[in-house]
Amino acid sequence: MENVALILMEVVSAILCFVLLRFMIEPYHTTGEGRYLGLPLGFGFLGVSYIFMGLSLYFESLLFVEDLKWLQLFTQAYAFAFLAATYYFSKKPPERTRLWWNITYAGLLFAAVVSYLVVFEQPMFGLPSYKTVDEYFRLFNIVCLAYISIHTLRSHVSQPDPKTIWIPLSYLLLGFSQYSSLIWSLDSSFAAFVGAHLLRIAGLLVFLVVVYQSFFGLRHAIPKEGIRDEEAPT
Amino acid sequence: MRKLPRRDKLKIYGDLLYFLHTESKKEKVVLTHVQLKTNVPFDRLKHYIDELKELGLILDEPSLKLTDKGKQYLREYETVLDFMKRMGLIYE
Repeated sequence: MENVALILMEVVSAILCFVLLRFMIEPYHTTGEGRYLGLPLGFGFLGVSYIFMGLSLYFESLLFVEDLKWLQLFTQAYAFAFLAATYYFSKKPPERTRLWWNITYAGLLFAAVVSYLVVFEQPMFGLPSYKTVDEYFRLFNIVCLAYISIHTLRSHVSQPDPKTIWIPLSYLLLGFSQYSSLIWSLDSSFAAFVGAHLLRIAGLLVFLVVVYQSFFGLRHAIPKEGIRDEEAPT
Repeated sequence: MRKLPRRDKLKIYGDLLYFLHTESKKEKVVLTHVQLKTNVPFDRLKHYIDELKELGLILDEPSLKLTDKGKQYLREYETVLDFMKRMGLIYE
């Protein structure tokens, strides 16, 4: 029963990520600038990482469960790395950093492929214990999410607007979720375990609200209905 | 003096279409006025207007105004810019 609830949490998280992915691709689609590609890649990798986790819970007695857990670990870290890279490059002038963001994204993709190969074709000396690596990866994720939260918060403070406060909040929720997972990994606290899952779902739901407000709830200069008969602003 | 950030073509198109939309009630849109508002040199402005006409986003009869396709483009552009602002992404 407990496992069913956990699998359900992973499935819901993955669905939320893939719904968000559909909208996160829009900045790249509209501007054509590669630096915004990290946003859909990040949410795509995040969704895939939740699928790996869900599969590892579903097939818990099979041999390849360990492989799935390692894949989840790597995929989630790359997701946050892609998101952090997008925010880093978004504040830089595009004409000067085009080469750097191409190198960064290509490097991250290459590293992802190599780490997946390592999972399936392990080196002779073996991999360190999953628990230790998991803790280091959680720390890495927290650093990435802290960077993004500070970036988005600074952007909100520089131009205060009530509608820009939600995204720093959602990244903070994801960061606290990673922190709770780390605490759970260290002391096996049940509250930290439940908290990590709830904070993650809450964070993704805030993203969903922001997407809904942007794409379906915005009052445009040009209304959606009555294009032909509209009143232009005076 | 603070240097203004360089705008790419997409942003210039967006500014140009938005300005033409706000001026759509006027009988005649004066190009010099458009040039001042969008801050584009006159020769390049004429080039951009030709491109927008070729793309079917604006009409020049009897005066410059947005087509339905132009309005659709401006609406989508505005939505994505708003989304990027909410996401804390800088686009300039």
